[in-house]
Amino acid sequence: MPADPNSAIWVVLAAYNEATVIGRVVSDLVRHDYAVLAVDDGSHDATGQKAQAAGATVITHPVNLGQGAALQTGIRYALKHGAEYIVTFDADGQHHASDVETLVASLKAHRVDFALGSRFRGQALAMPWARRKVLQLATWFTRFTTGLQVTDTHNGLRAMTRCGAARIALRQNRMAHATEFLDQIARSRLGYVEVPVTIEYSAYSLAKGQKLSDSLRILVDLSAQRLHR
Amino acid sequence: MIAQIGLSILLGGIAIYAWTEWSRAPAIGSIAMLATASGLYLVWLPSHATWLADQVGIGRGVDLVLYIWVIISLLVMLNLHLKLRSQMEFITVLMREAAISEADRHR
Repeated sequence: MPADPNSAIWVVLAAYNEATVIGRVVSDLVRHDYAVLAVDDGSHDATGQKAQAAGATVITHPVNLGQGAALQTGIRYALKHGAEYIVTFDADGQHHASDVETLVASLKAHRVDFALGSRFRGQALAMPWARRKVLQLATWFTRFTTGLQVTDTHNGLRAMTRCGAARIALRQNRMAHATEFLDQIARSRLGYVEVPVTIEYSAYSLAKGQKLSDSLRILVDLSAQRLHR
Repeated sequence: MIAQIGLSILLGGIAIYAWTEWSRAPAIGSIAMLATASGLYLVWLPSHATWLADQVGIGRGVDLVLYIWVIISLLVMLNLHLKLRSQMEFITVLMREAAISEADRHR
């Protein structure tokens, strides 16, 4: 287990079977002096060991619960250990570590509690046409249901202050957590800002990422949650 | 008369189930209560069922009762699905606490 990180900025990675890339992703973040927390979401490969070897603190879910559940675990742990700023970051290598600083700087400059990365204000390199269209539909849906005027709804790169993170309690274990996250920001009435970021798609991240059919599942999950307390 | 009593007992059971579920899933509980009340009404007043079925283009009153029964069954299934989701939320919280405790123990 690495030594206690001194940084006030904690980067939370939800990782499931990411042994191929997790070492590089963690190393990039550690080079920037961030405290890196990898939540190994019940991986069957060496994700946890590789993340730890690269310098991350690792929490391990006994079984796979989903990205939303893993992020909530990471947020809770980071808060418990004194994080001042928490950044969620995809473990598949499609985000740039340099964007973390931009997000946190935006929190401070705008005096808001959430900074949301937007690939549509920034760059989406090698993004497939179909994915762009589905994300545009998802953005329309989120604007309608939350009232937030965002341009990118399913971007895993976001930063929050300690105060903001304390208001997030994700119940959607799987991909619907991204919409739930924005819904909770809207309900918290805390300030947010969108920040241009870069997302770089690769064959690996496209294979690991959401499928178009997942969007229907997300709709079912969100609808089901509204039916019970 | 025997069929009416039998159906009423079954519908009464579902009404009690819907009532107990109302606090957890108000939307499901309310619709199930409404469907059950409609079912009881039509079971005891079959002539009204025939008239109503004719109005909505179903044809026979007994078909209308059958459709209502199907709706109630689907609602019960949906409620079971929601219960499974709730159980998963409990399991998630439990696993999260265990994972965090384990990580703290190894610090």
